[in-house]
Amino acid sequence: MAAIVNLNHHANYVHWHFFQMSVSNIVVIVLMVIVFAVAILAPFPGHVGGKSS
Amino acid sequence: MSVSEERSWTARVRGRAVAALPPDKLLPDKQPAYVASWIYVFGVLSLSSLVVIIASGSILALKGPGWWHFTGVGLFFNSIHLWSVELFFFVMVIHLWGKFWMAAWRGGRARVWITGAVTFLVAIPCALTGYVSQQNFDAQWISTQAKDAMNSVGIGAFFNLLNFGQMYSYHVLLLPAAVVGIVIAHILLVRKHGVVPPFSLPAEPTDSEPSS
Repeated sequence: MAAIVNLNHHANYVHWHFFQMSVSNIVVIVLMVIVFAVAILAPFPGHVGGKSS
Repeated sequence: MSVSEERSWTARVRGRAVAALPPDKLLPDKQPAYVASWIYVFGVLSLSSLVVIIASGSILALKGPGWWHFTGVGLFFNSIHLWSVELFFFVMVIHLWGKFWMAAWRGGRARVWITGAVTFLVAIPCALTGYVSQQNFDAQWISTQAKDAMNSVGIGAFFNLLNFGQMYSYHVLLLPAAVVGIVIAHILLVRKHGVVPPFSLPAEPTDSEPSS
């Protein structure tokens, strides 16, 4: 069964001066930052900006 | 408390446990309004991932490497185990960021913060020993590379990454037991101290107090 993404090759890396990281790790970190921002900004269902009890 | 109860360690432990965590605190049915935010969901998501990790890992341990490498269902559970770990770290890091930026150690919650941070630190070797417990060429290559890394930082004498039996027992018993134990302590401390509130906003200026 074929994988959705072909992983049968060496990992791609971003290398800039001392910074070196695989593209897959960068993608995961960017996704975490996006999910973190969404978790703070997105309204929670069933709760319309009420004050703390 | 009667004299016999004072002498009984079970009665003393019960008394202290109930005083620290009465039933309505241990299993609350209401939370403060500020908990209604997505950022407060990532703690329980970490916990849910941990349950899937332990359950899938138990099945892998039960069936063995021949099953998880060479059968369709085994490969499926192998993948469930790997991706639940990926998800565990993903949501745990977001939980960590959220709690760090709201300074979750406020209000006497230092131990809550410390147990959470230690869980994260213990979970890392717990995951890494999984890579050397796979029983394939990947595991052999990773263990030799990791052995060099451990030696280079001076801790290679305390454990041996080339010793499969040692690494496997670390991965399936010692480190998971530590993670689960610290997580239980973390949850009980959250129950005891309550969920940390967000920072309060500065008071809005009124008509009589014009802002400068």
